[in-house]
Amino acid sequence: MSADEFEGSEFESEACAYTDYSSGEAHEQYPKTGESATGVERKVWDALYEVEDPEMPVSIVDLGLIYDVRVVDDVAHVEMTLTYTGCPARDMILNDVRCAALAAGVADAEVTLRYSPPWNVEMVTEDGKRDLREFGLSV
Amino acid sequence: MSQFSGPSDLGDEERDALEALLFRMADDEYVAAERYIEWQIYAPTLESDLALANVAQDEYGHARLWYDLLQDLGYEEEELIWERPPEEWTHATLVELETESGDWADTMLRTYLYDTAEQLRMEAIVDSSYAPVCDRVGKVLAEESYHREHAQNWLDRLADEGDEESFARVQAALDRLFPHALTLFAPGPHEEDILEFGFRTETLSDLRTEWLEIVVPYLESLGLDVPEPDEVEPVRTTGRNGDHTDDWFDLYEDFTATYRQLDFDKPTTLRGEGA
Repeated sequence: MSADEFEGSEFESEACAYTDYSSGEAHEQYPKTGESATGVERKVWDALYEVEDPEMPVSIVDLGLIYDVRVVDDVAHVEMTLTYTGCPARDMILNDVRCAALAAGVADAEVTLRYSPPWNVEMVTEDGKRDLREFGLSV
Repeated sequence: MSQFSGPSDLGDEERDALEALLFRMADDEYVAAERYIEWQIYAPTLESDLALANVAQDEYGHARLWYDLLQDLGYEEEELIWERPPEEWTHATLVELETESGDWADTMLRTYLYDTAEQLRMEAIVDSSYAPVCDRVGKVLAEESYHREHAQNWLDRLADEGDEESFARVQAALDRLFPHALTLFAPGPHEEDILEFGFRTETLSDLRTEWLEIVVPYLESLGLDVPEPDEVEPVRTTGRNGDHTDDWFDLYEDFTATYRQLDFDKPTTLRGEGA
């Protein structure tokens, strides 16, 4: 994601109104953080916490990008989203996620992209918001 | 609940119709972006350069959403873009035309005409019978609105608040582009099946009517003379059946040149990818 997606939350000018991602709707089931996960799924979530956004020092889990983790027959199935469709780091993030899941000790890992519900900044966890503030973004 | 949850729910006819719809949407977005990025470093101000780069980035992103769904149906990236013969692309001629040299009015008008149609087309697939399309369309709609805002902001300045020259350029662009904009609504392969299977829930003719109801009053409010849609001489090639203007074949040569020069047998992959 790019830092200017957060512009609107700091500068309330008319001209930048459309970049105000902070006004997105909160979603009941998101962010997903794997809170109640156990066993191998727990390990996959822990591994995913270690993957950072390529542009900012924040875990992709805290950023709210992971929509689901399931391990079936020793294969991890990760569903995730991207902050916006033109994300130039897509292949890199997908690859990082797959490698992280594999490192959690499963035989194979599949990563699928989903775009519903569309990501917005309300999906960032409190820890994620703290990390982003430390980085200098106003969220 | 959508009727088709994924590729395995599709029979042959459904699959052909869905592919036609996806190619049409993906190709429009991809080729539009190819023309926008020709402005990089040439746009009239740094801010407009950045804005157009950003619009192009979104359109590439949207093209990728639809090409992804074609990959789910078994295509590889090289078959979809780099090695697909140019006469198999089904984008509208509006997005392929070479931009008149240095004519910012052309690009702003083109963006406005295209993105207004884009918005209507996305709304017509919100209730698509193919679930993966529904999953993606909300994100596209959320990213599109400021493209129109940007184009209209410029058209207001160039036509309504501009001088004689800028007005004349917008009018000339309108006369030139309008017949090609109508190809956005020209039917292509499998159009009847696309509707029958519910992949899109509105006819092209209804979309065309809605589009005209938006763009004509707006352009007239700027003082422009809008061609009478039913009296416009239809362009010889619509793009929708793979027939294109010469501009397209030149553009295709350009954007596939590096791929061919490097003699890739596959698009590049990341270190460790597919491990």
